[in-house]
Amino acid sequence: MTAQQRTLFGAGRRRFIPWLLLAPGVGFYLVMAVGPSIATAFYSFTDATGLRGLPINWVGFDNYNEFAFEGARSRDNLDAVQRTLLFMVLVTVLQFGVGLLMAILVNQRLKGSLVFRTLFFVPVILGAVVQGLMWKLFLRPGGGPMDTIYGWLGLESQFLAGPSAFYWVVLVQIWANAGFTMVVFLAGMQTIPAELNEAAAVDGATGWQLFKNVTWPQLTPAVNTNFLLNIIGSLQAWMLFLVLTGFTNSTKVLGYVVYAEGFGQQGTSSFRQGYAAAASIVLFLLVLVLGMAANFVVTRRERKYLG
Amino acid sequence: MLLLAVLALVAAACGSDASTDDADGDAGSTDTEATESASDDSSSSDDGDTDTAEAAAGLEGTLRVMIHQNPPMVEWVESFNADFEAANPGVTIDLSVIDAADLPTANQTRLSAGDVDVTTVTVTGFANPVQPYMTDVEPPYWQQLIDAGLLMDLSGQDFVGNYDDAAIAEGGSYDGGVYSLNLGRVSYSGMFVNLDLLGEVGVDVPTTWGELVAACDTVKGAGYECMTAGGADGWPIFVGAYGLLGSLYPDQEGLVEGLWTGEAAWNDEQGQKLFERYEVYANEMLEDQAAGLGHDAAIERYKAGDVAFAPTGNWQAGVMEPAADSDLTPAEFEWTYIPFPGSDNAADNQILFGKYDQGWAVAEGTPVEDLAMAYLAAFSDPDTYNDFANTVNFLPTQPTATLDNTLGRAVAPLLQEGAFTVGYEQWFIGPAGAGQWANAGQGALWFYNGDFADAAEAADQAQADFEAGLGG
Amino acid sequence: MSVLTHSEPEVVVHDDFGAGKRRARRKIVSYSILVAFAIFYVGPLLMLVMASLKTLPEFFRDPTGLPEGLEVNNFTEAWDLANFPQYLFNSLIYTVVATTLFVVMSVFVAFPIARGYVKGAGPLLTLYVVALFLPPALIPQFQLILNFGDIPVIGDVLFSFWPEGSEQQGLFNTRTGYILLFLTNPIGLIILVNYIKSIPRELDESAAVDGCGYARFVFTILMPLIRPALATVIVIHAIGIWNELILATIYLTSEDNYPITRGLLVFEGVYGSDWPKLAAAVLMLMFPMLVLYMFLQRYIISGLTSGAIKG
Repeated sequence: MTAQQRTLFGAGRRRFIPWLLLAPGVGFYLVMAVGPSIATAFYSFTDATGLRGLPINWVGFDNYNEFAFEGARSRDNLDAVQRTLLFMVLVTVLQFGVGLLMAILVNQRLKGSLVFRTLFFVPVILGAVVQGLMWKLFLRPGGGPMDTIYGWLGLESQFLAGPSAFYWVVLVQIWANAGFTMVVFLAGMQTIPAELNEAAAVDGATGWQLFKNVTWPQLTPAVNTNFLLNIIGSLQAWMLFLVLTGFTNSTKVLGYVVYAEGFGQQGTSSFRQGYAAAASIVLFLLVLVLGMAANFVVTRRERKYLG
Repeated sequence: MLLLAVLALVAAACGSDASTDDADGDAGSTDTEATESASDDSSSSDDGDTDTAEAAAGLEGTLRVMIHQNPPMVEWVESFNADFEAANPGVTIDLSVIDAADLPTANQTRLSAGDVDVTTVTVTGFANPVQPYMTDVEPPYWQQLIDAGLLMDLSGQDFVGNYDDAAIAEGGSYDGGVYSLNLGRVSYSGMFVNLDLLGEVGVDVPTTWGELVAACDTVKGAGYECMTAGGADGWPIFVGAYGLLGSLYPDQEGLVEGLWTGEAAWNDEQGQKLFERYEVYANEMLEDQAAGLGHDAAIERYKAGDVAFAPTGNWQAGVMEPAADSDLTPAEFEWTYIPFPGSDNAADNQILFGKYDQGWAVAEGTPVEDLAMAYLAAFSDPDTYNDFANTVNFLPTQPTATLDNTLGRAVAPLLQEGAFTVGYEQWFIGPAGAGQWANAGQGALWFYNGDFADAAEAADQAQADFEAGLGG
Repeated sequence: MSVLTHSEPEVVVHDDFGAGKRRARRKIVSYSILVAFAIFYVGPLLMLVMASLKTLPEFFRDPTGLPEGLEVNNFTEAWDLANFPQYLFNSLIYTVVATTLFVVMSVFVAFPIARGYVKGAGPLLTLYVVALFLPPALIPQFQLILNFGDIPVIGDVLFSFWPEGSEQQGLFNTRTGYILLFLTNPIGLIILVNYIKSIPRELDESAAVDGCGYARFVFTILMPLIRPALATVIVIHAIGIWNELILATIYLTSEDNYPITRGLLVFEGVYGSDWPKLAAAVLMLMFPMLVLYMFLQRYIISGLTSGAIKG
């Protein structure tokens, strides 16, 4: 054993120290996050209610069967799954596009670009309650700002009630999070060597050609990060539904179903944490399959552009 | 500045694991205080047991009480608590006020955690009990709470006798025990009527659906609005429509049984009529602005005086005619409260439907049982209860109490005939596989929101969604 | 606005050879799009500010127009009515304590993983990546918090410090329990790991040779070096805690423990129709996070650059 090996962190006599200091972080992670996540699978096969004093019985696949095959309820659940997917597609695509456009615009040497950048990021830090209340005010029927604008255009909408509500939530979700997408793109743009742009400009490339041949390929890691985060994030997002619409027929998404069924958010209906756990496993499978697929696409892109 | 923050962070973190312990300790110590006071409670109740001589006069400890958000009630309970604390110097009451939507969650979590002593279990008494004709249904959550042994059986307590038998039986009993003292009945199948406005446009108070439609036309022709209701939170737009449902189906429990046994259907002749009227109510009678109004805002809006009718719960009478010491301003017009005239037959429009409102329940195993019982006994005192009912405008569940206000005078005749019955939605449970459109009690909202445009289509969908559960 | 200053990034578009006209046109297009977005972003905020400055009757008369006078009473009344000082204090406690603990613990997880100072660093990192996909742990977590005292060893140790009677409640409705819920954040950890990888390894080797202790190295040398990543993680994590609603609904029942989000929704329940007061309350809730962001924003992009993009 050389002197150096002995003194290096993680080696020698005191190599246990990194382990010791790592333990609390990993420990909490396993106990508070990973463990309960895995236990969700167990709960999904039971009739758990969350009430102390009621026995938890093993019910096999009953919850899944009810979720997917029983009566008109399965249709409602399927609708919720579809709505969750639609929400993901709309939010991922639009937020990605808006965020990229914002990043390109504020990354130019324009006066005031910093103000714009700050402004676009502000909603991110506000969180769903404030975002939601703000838009509830903005979309207030009966003389609210958007209602007034609609009035000028001769249009009418109930905004956050009925079938239109879903699309307003999509809009607010994008409004709320595009700033984060933008910042990730901006971070990516910082890694693009200036010489690349200059060389391309010397060759007479136009703005679009520059973007297509230099920026876009060079932005690959940021594109991938955003793509993955948007997909996973939008599949699991439901807080804005809670604040803006509540648990209504035309705005149920899977994440909300889990909370509503598990924690009695529907009138006098029973507490059904087993059933809710099954719904959350369905959501997990969606996230897993789509996340993995996205990851596959992303890895291939990375290989293509970055070798 | 960031440097400072980071420095602070470094400083806070100096000595790594020691710091972790430190911060844990800090956070822990605040809890220690909380839990200490909790343990004080249990020891004090032990004391109470040992010196029973002093127990009656010398109650001690902290009583954790939970009610749901309802401004006049919160105000009243706060002052009641202050009086109770004044009369029992060793007692502190820790009152939590929970949003109605979160009340089930709060009961689920707090009762399971042993974190509450006296609670209001539901906003609807012991509604939606499982009936013999129902199969394959999930029980309402209050049944789960009792099955889990989380609520205390109150039968045999003296104060139970202060309430009328129906309230104890229908609003608080389950499986041979009494688990809740119901605080009052409310009706929402009626609507407020602006008598001054009707007088001005020359219309009588409508007694049938036809008269109501005509009255609306006249009112709107004169430049006023026909109806307003709070639609922003999804209710009470459909609450108002319960009156319509009630007048078309005077036998409310029978309707639910009929749906289960196949003797009634949402798309039979009567059902079709219901949906057609829902559509008129939602799209023609209600003013456009209603969707932007919350439940509380709607009645404030109505007090402006340019709307003829406001279908909503009778509890809003307290806002129309607030107590003398309240911050609220009274309505500056003559008004009354009548059953919603939804039927062509005037006699069917003479019935008020409603529900039992919240009721007190006690957590099984509470460390301050004596205190909880003394609290309920004090509340149940006839004079106190009478004051309560008159403040919150609940139709009393104690036979000795009477409502002495405009609302009381308006509804007294209806109640004297024993006409108050528990409404449809307090009976309705869909079969396990029923779809989200099976509960047609909310049908008016579907039109208002634009989920459906055609009455027949909505009626068929409701029936199909209900039957889907029966078939499975 | 000095806090806003940020090192200007390299320009992506840089065509001195293109016609000046084309550049001017692009500038106009850029500004028009930016302004259009800005309206969309400022609009709701502006409406909130305007509503907060109106009296209630004024708001009902004209919800959208400019306020007639400046009704600052809404702010003072909302402040008094809603018990905001208490909620604000709670939110600060939760956010500061949990973020500090999380960041310190995470650096001690991220550093050895990034360097391979512990065996199995690779699989450990994968465990954190996988967690991005895991289902919400809402339901078992509730059982865990409720029954913490019944867990062998951990529960016994924990409650041995606490007075009798606290076992029944577990960590439910306690500040500690609530803070425990916020000590993990896989994305934050991944950002830290990636950023630390960009710090030259020679640094810790020479420090080690010089006899600098492991913990001391992390606190005094590593942490200042990874400031951008720390700032990013702090902001992301703090935002999450400050804005959490569901966990607060489930786990915190006494008003003394409410964070400000919960307090705000309770306030909405009572004064929901009083938009001017509600708007004032919302604005007050926004303020602390805005301040934090203003201070930390110049680090965020560089933190993400090395932490989330390069990895």
